[in-house]
Amino acid sequence: MATGLAIPQSGKDAASAFDRKRRLKLLTGLAVAAAVACLPLVVTDVYAQNIIILTLLYAALSQSWNILGGYCGQISLGHALYFGTGAYATTILYTKFGVLPWFGMIVGGVVAAAIALALGYQLFRLAGHYFSIATIVIAEAGLVLVNNWDWAGAATGIQWPFVPDSWAVLQFNPRNKLPYIYIALAFASITWLTTFSIETSRWGYWWRAVKDNADAAESLGVMIFKSKMAAAAISAFFTAIGGAFFAAFVQYIDPESVMNFQLSLLMALPAVLGGIGTLWGPAVGAAILIPLTQVTRSYLGGSGQGIDLIVYGLLVMVVALAKPEGLSSLFTSRKAPRA
Amino acid sequence: MISRRSFVAGTALTAASLSTGARAQASEVSVGVLFPTSGSGAQVGIDAIQAINVALDVINNPHPDLELPLAKGSGLPGLGGAKLRIVTADHQSDPQKGRAEAERLITQDKVSALIGSYQSAVAATISQTSERFSVPYIASDNSSPSLTRRGLKYIFRASPHDEMFSATMFDFLDGLKKAGQKVDTIALFYEDTIFGTDSSNVQRKLAGERGYKVVADVKYRANTPSLTAEVQQLKAADADVLMPSSYTTDGILLIKTMSELGYKPKAILAQAAGFSEKALYDAVGKQIEGAITRGSFSLDLAAKRPTVGLVNAMFKAKSGKDMNDNTSREFMATIVLADAINRAKSTDGAKIRDALAMTDIPGEMTIMPWKRVKFDENGQNNDADAVLLQWLGEKFVTVYPTELAIAAPKFPMSKA
Repeated sequence: MATGLAIPQSGKDAASAFDRKRRLKLLTGLAVAAAVACLPLVVTDVYAQNIIILTLLYAALSQSWNILGGYCGQISLGHALYFGTGAYATTILYTKFGVLPWFGMIVGGVVAAAIALALGYQLFRLAGHYFSIATIVIAEAGLVLVNNWDWAGAATGIQWPFVPDSWAVLQFNPRNKLPYIYIALAFASITWLTTFSIETSRWGYWWRAVKDNADAAESLGVMIFKSKMAAAAISAFFTAIGGAFFAAFVQYIDPESVMNFQLSLLMALPAVLGGIGTLWGPAVGAAILIPLTQVTRSYLGGSGQGIDLIVYGLLVMVVALAKPEGLSSLFTSRKAPRA
Repeated sequence: MISRRSFVAGTALTAASLSTGARAQASEVSVGVLFPTSGSGAQVGIDAIQAINVALDVINNPHPDLELPLAKGSGLPGLGGAKLRIVTADHQSDPQKGRAEAERLITQDKVSALIGSYQSAVAATISQTSERFSVPYIASDNSSPSLTRRGLKYIFRASPHDEMFSATMFDFLDGLKKAGQKVDTIALFYEDTIFGTDSSNVQRKLAGERGYKVVADVKYRANTPSLTAEVQQLKAADADVLMPSSYTTDGILLIKTMSELGYKPKAILAQAAGFSEKALYDAVGKQIEGAITRGSFSLDLAAKRPTVGLVNAMFKAKSGKDMNDNTSREFMATIVLADAINRAKSTDGAKIRDALAMTDIPGEMTIMPWKRVKFDENGQNNDADAVLLQWLGEKFVTVYPTELAIAAPKFPMSKA
């Protein structure tokens, strides 16, 4: 920002340099996805595979959150509402009407996007912290509503019926986690690709302009309100898809497990830790946070001493202090902005 | 960069424990134990593990003075004297974590069976996992009736569920009515999580079936800061029996608010939870002299069955507390499981499951007020009875069922 952009001699050079950089990013993405896809060949333990699935899920969720929170700068701490919408829409459609989860997933996504638009219409008049607080309050209100909604199981939650394994209803033998891994990988890849393609689209530039200085952006013709609404809808849509996947994966949902405030934090945390508003931040953050929480709980928890939580908290603090701009900055080159 | 290095070291350590932790010794049988040991349910989980450790002591070491299966000898004779050991896991009251930890215990620690889990929501996911892996799961202290109604073959519950508990409460009321007491109206007061919701649904249904009029049906937000409006409703209705389903903090707030608003209910008949916790009586015991709570365990039983007192003493030596509703059930679940493993003469999940299905332990061989332990085709023990305990003179006194009662109930409680 402070170091001015050096303008290259000719536009053609710049364009090709830009294209090269984009291609490299895409190839990196492909390589990472391919590496993750091969991971189950090495990691055959179901517990470790379970961690891979959760990591991919949270990478995708955080990537979705990052669209609104990172790129557009609207810090939402109420994304659990969209997650819950996806989980409940899929579960209710499947258990009550026999609609396959694949379809319910899309319905959940569309409903969540609609909710995000309706809320955004009201909330985007609020700026900064006030917006964040409003998102918390609304998500909590949603939790209370579902908790008292008898038809949707209220506090008791809804269990998925116990049926033989099948791709149609997303249930698989627990010794074979491959289908879940590949579905989660596909989900993470789609959110990554969406972010990748949006980054250099008009929306992407508008969002960053809104984030940096909304007034200045508006004076240059950026449609602020529309930008925020678009970011909110895309973000909510993908978050709900994640909720739907989670419901199929766990096969039981209740308001506390899919709409709790902690979930909203868990979606924001990987992006913040890995690098907010960056393409790789959420994935890097999730790859560190999720295995860490799972492994510390399994191998240090159970004693009742809370050692796992202490270790987890300490590590998050160390990272935040050592790399406040996010861990993904470790991987970017330190050379001057322009070669 | 210390952070990166220590992270790598941590990962390496984990990898090492992955490879060594898996092999259980032939002379041991491992059982996975899933409870919340951090977060809001932590104390319950820690107590549970202590209760289960007492059960291990009973099974693994000779206790000639105890009338319990496997107590007299050491280890499991059916498996050449093999010792029972437990591997504990923390599910933090989260259904997703409960499922993941159950999978880990089964695949890495090669446990032969599972015990857990306090929260019924977590039991729902553990039981699905146990079913898919064909490893039996003993729901030690979960009371949601639906758990044993899903056609699962690998879940077993020796203790009563909510419907059985509530039926006992209404049996008690029916008895009072027959004896000429005025018991026509009831007030339901319950919190809005899974426990209160399930409990009130059953009570509402039973009240309708048995001809009691529900004059107040008050649901409140768990951990609410104020219950003034709710108590006003209860006071206005002034039912013959107030039936609360509340955890400890809400229960204390309820009693405090009632005395602030000058409402003295004619009788309280509580669905355990907060009303079986010592903390509640320490705080407001004086205001509710005569409150009755259902329970699954009664220390008064020790007078008839010395084993109850001896086991309680063993538990007290470890934890400094008397056994209660939860710890007694967790203890008993472990004994029932060990008995089945012993008869199965195998650590294979399917064989243990078949042995569990054949379980038949007479009530005298337990520490519970049950007729026997015998599972129906859904894995539910229908011969498990509940008791009603009345808070009288700073302690609990068993007042129902009559064959276990050591005193007649004081009813209504406000009677001079």
